[in-house]
This record gives sequence, structure tokens and C-alpha cells, in this order.
Amino acid sequence: MVKRSEKAKTMRKIIKAIWIFNWFNSCGFAELVPLVGSRWDMERFGMIIVGTPRHADVLFIAGYQTHKSIERAKRVYEQMAEPRVVIALGSCTMTGGMYWDSYNTIKKLDDYLPVTMYIPGCPPRPEAVFEACEKIFEHVKELE
Amino acid sequence: MDKKESEFLKKIKTKFKIDGKVQRDRRIWISITDDKLIEICKWMKENGFVHLSAISVTDWLKDGNYELTYHLWSYDDKILVTIKTRINRNKPNIESVTPIWEKNAQIHERELHELFGVNFNGNEDLVPLFLENWKGPAPFRKDFDWRDFVRDEFYDKKNEREQVYYD
Repeated sequence: MVKRSEKAKTMRKIIKAIWIFNWFNSCGFAELVPLVGSRWDMERFGMIIVGTPRHADVLFIAGYQTHKSIERAKRVYEQMAEPRVVIALGSCTMTGGMYWDSYNTIKKLDDYLPVTMYIPGCPPRPEAVFEACEKIFEHVKELE
Repeated sequence: MDKKESEFLKKIKTKFKIDGKVQRDRRIWISITDDKLIEICKWMKENGFVHLSAISVTDWLKDGNYELTYHLWSYDDKILVTIKTRINRNKPNIESVTPIWEKNAQIHERELHELFGVNFNGNEDLVPLFLENWKGPAPFRKDFDWRDFVRDEFYDKKNEREQVYYD
């Protein structure tokens, strides 16, 4: 029997579903709409999109972020309650993607926000997104 | 070719003594010097050209010029008049048309001030439109090298994994 800390116990209690707040620029949302639709249907894994960052556990960021929008993304992140997770989707958030030489987009998201997990792909497959969320559950279960 | 275009062109040519031609149906191009701009624009507004569709800048690097293009539309005559004027690209100053078209012109002038660095004399509110905390030169000038700017700004040449951006 593993002796768990109070934090781990609380986390195991509260993590039944992942509530998501989307912060998508450009094609980000268009490419991840299948996640919500009936074929891949993220709600069967307890993932649901909420209307305000104050209710969200996970922040999805996709698409290239401009200098203007990253300031807003930071504000969204600050509003989220602990424990919070940032998942960056797609190649634009990792390296700038096809905007690697653009003067007004940011290149690496982790220079600006503490990214928990990157999901590569342009766009990432829905299965990859599910696997990332599965890893959040695993991480909580491994907490001691 | 339609009659109304040539008639209007004749009218404006005799009034201001300028060059111009009928481009095609419902399109007139006129070229003017920048000191005549306000005078002509006022006259155009009084003659039904209430809609300023766009102001655009073309950067002619070799000639050392900015070409400013004003697109004016008349709902009565159904003609799109394009006014072209050239200014020095190193000292891009021109009179603002905000007293004539007001808010209609404001957004275009703000944009061009930000992207090309054109100063519109008489426009008090040339705050940046798209860019925030921008410290570089006007980004749409042809002599501004985006790639060099990005390398200085975002990448580290000593970082082995970022070498690919310097090849």
C-alpha cells in the first residue's frame, strides 16, 4: 500500500473529468473541431469545453500566437485555478511552424507560458490529443 | 466604353489640369502631385464620392517613392475613381484626409502609419492598429529584412538546435 500525500489524495478525488478552455488562433480550432464532433467525441472521456478559464483545468493552445494574442493568453492562464495544465497543440506552438520567420508571431510557447505538454502535428490527430489527456490521468495516479 | 466615365474624366481634367485615363468600365485612374490631394478630395466628396474604399501604399524601392492610392466610390454615378500620388519614401509625409472622410479614413491611415511609417499631417490619433510593443522599423517597407530581424529577435546562433535557421 502506497502512502499518499494529502495533495495526491485530493487530486485523485477531484480528477474525474477534464474541463478544457480553448485558446485557438488561426486554423487551430478548425482543425480540432473533429475532437468535439460525433466521430471522436471527446465527451466520452469526460473532456468538455467550458466557457470561462476560471472553470477550466486544462488550457489548450493551438495555432500561432502573435505578440498581441500571447498577452491575452497569459491573462487567461492567470485566471485558471490550480492545479492547471497547459497543452500546446500543433507545430506552430513548438517552433513557429510555417511562421518561423514571421516578425510578429512568437516562436516557442514555453518562453511565455509554462507548457506541460506539447502535441506535435499539423494538425495533431485527435487520438494524440486523447493520449495526452490520458497522460494527465496517469500522472495524477502516479502522484504519491 | 461607357459614356459616363469619359464625361466625368473630362470634367475633372479641365477642372484641375491633371492626367488620367478610363481604365475600363466604371474605373478611372488619375495621377496627381501630393500638394493637390486635399483640394481634389474635397471636390470629389462634394461630387458624390462619399465612400473611401481604401488607401493603399506601394513601395517603389528603386524609384525611392511611395505610391499612395485612394479608391473612391460614388453610389450615384457607380464609378470607382483611383487617385494615385507619389511621395518620397524616406520622408513620407502627406496631408491627412480625415477632415474629409473622418472615421472612414481613420482606420486606413492608422494602418499605413504602422506598416509603412507614413505620417499623415493633421491626423491626431495615429496609434498602432495591429502591432503591440513594436520596436523595429515599419515592417512592410521593402528594405526591411524580416528574416534577419527574426534571427536577431528570437533565435540564438550558439544554440546547436537552432543552427538550421541560419543556413
